[in-house]
Amino acid sequence: MSRLWSPLAALWSVDRLAGLALGVLFVMVLLGVFGPWLPLGDPTKLAAGPRLSPPSWDFPFGTDELGRSFLPRVVEGIRYTFLLASMAVAITAVLGTLLGMLAAYLGRFFDQSVARFADLLFAFPPLLAGLLVAAVAGPGALSVITVISAATLPLFIRVIRSASLSVVERDFVVAASVAGASTWRIIARHILPNVLSAAIVQLTYALSIAMIIESALSFLGLGEQPPRASLGTLLRVSSVYLTIAPWLVGFAGLVLSLAIVSVNLLGDGLRDRVDPLKGRPLT
Amino acid sequence: MRIFTYLGTRALLALCTLVGVALLIFIAIRLVPGGFADIVLGPFVTPEAREVLTVRFGLDEPVWVQFFKWFFALLEGDLGHSLVTQQPVMSELLRRLPVTAELAFLSLVFALSIGLSLGVVSAAAAAQGGGRAGRLVGALGASVPDFVLGSIFIFVFSVWSLGLPAGGYVAFSEDPIGNIMGMILPSVTLGVFGMALILRTTRDAVLTVLTEGHITAAVARGDSPGEILRHHVLRNASILVLTVSATYFGYLLGGAVIVEVLFSVPGVGFYIYSGLLNRDYAVVQGGVLFVAALFVLLNMVVDLAYVLIDPRIGAARAQR
Repeated sequence: MSRLWSPLAALWSVDRLAGLALGVLFVMVLLGVFGPWLPLGDPTKLAAGPRLSPPSWDFPFGTDELGRSFLPRVVEGIRYTFLLASMAVAITAVLGTLLGMLAAYLGRFFDQSVARFADLLFAFPPLLAGLLVAAVAGPGALSVITVISAATLPLFIRVIRSASLSVVERDFVVAASVAGASTWRIIARHILPNVLSAAIVQLTYALSIAMIIESALSFLGLGEQPPRASLGTLLRVSSVYLTIAPWLVGFAGLVLSLAIVSVNLLGDGLRDRVDPLKGRPLT
Repeated sequence: MRIFTYLGTRALLALCTLVGVALLIFIAIRLVPGGFADIVLGPFVTPEAREVLTVRFGLDEPVWVQFFKWFFALLEGDLGHSLVTQQPVMSELLRRLPVTAELAFLSLVFALSIGLSLGVVSAAAAAQGGGRAGRLVGALGASVPDFVLGSIFIFVFSVWSLGLPAGGYVAFSEDPIGNIMGMILPSVTLGVFGMALILRTTRDAVLTVLTEGHITAAVARGDSPGEILRHHVLRNASILVLTVSATYFGYLLGGAVIVEVLFSVPGVGFYIYSGLLNRDYAVVQGGVLFVAALFVLLNMVVDLAYVLIDPRIGAARAQR
């Protein structure tokens, strides 16, 4: 336990916001993983209480339109939202960073090909692409992951490429290549450290964008299909009852926003820790 | 001269991307399991109806003939006709584009004016060890999904009636004030994400530039902080900010579906979405292609802007 606790405590001592965000994410991941075994109630039990009842001792988040307790539903939503978003972003991060750096360094044909590829993916607005993919492959987890990867990959490539572009012009890269260093060595030793902070900031963008796209697609009914429900699905159903049971949208929206804000704050905190050339005073 | 070669090449490549986009969309639509006819007509289709559709869309011809017919029609600006209203999709889209463009423009103005200034202030504060408030605003703004934010706005302004309309679009030519009032909630809902995006990017870019040698040199020369900011920091930081702003503007043109639906703004996104609900795949196909084409043209303009902002990149690109 202390081994688990000490990095958290270290982050907390230098950066309260990021430490807090990491704590929140930690709790959410635990909830997502161990949710089914926690004594929160059954997310699928119909008519566990009155329909659309406000928060109470028995139903801390109230009940939904079928009388199901909303708290375990939200916990289940956390699991699906986190799972889909992180799977998609893991694919994007590795591929995007590699392609972005290679494009900037190799230039010429490879750069053009990667840029064309990114442009092609980038030209499709995520939600409209989601509608197309759902029409072709049917709605569901695989479609969502495909859309998220396709949507975040060009962002990754473009930002890493433009961050790398200002690095490949630098003397130390030119010197390394004149000295005969291999492409992989230059990429790994000279370019990667200089674009790592951009990559990490971009990773948080990607993860938060992934969560937003996932919930937006679910909001449109194109994500995980019932009975599985991500946070976006819950919001889709709850928004119908916005005027008579606003707490449903409130809790689902709050948890979703809290998850995304934590990812963003953690990324900001990491950026400040990772970047060795942290901003010095202006005067 | 090299620059002109670069510009020409860039325009040509944008054209290639457009062709790629068209090809991809064509393949996606024709790949639909069960076939185009089933998608358009639904599962309970009579053989006669299928026959009519097959003849009308030339589905009995080889796929490559279909593609070239469709593609050459595209070149003449013909995106096909709506399956429901029989109106040409192109003119329907062009009629709705000003609405989406106005929404996107207002959102971008909101995002840039607040995001840029907060970003610079936050970076300056962070350079002196503070800037936590800017970080929190940036993270919050980038985190609340537009449909959650929109729902909150609608709830607040429909229940507590603070006077702003949350739906019911009025054309600018009919009632300028009513139009702007109606656009406030949707454009702020859309713009908050961009504001945060631009704030974070500006902050990161400025912080990165601040660590570079020429800033130290300027400080050593005794330039004032304001001068350094204007002459040395913002111009260098603007490349990343421009990238993200362009990304964001593209997102606005195509990704405004949810906000347009939520606030009943009759723009391009709303049109494509209702096309989907009506199983009007001519509208979806034409609409996605239309928005994608806007995207590609926008990217081209941004790439050209790089050359103007940073001559180093232009020179390097042109030499390769």
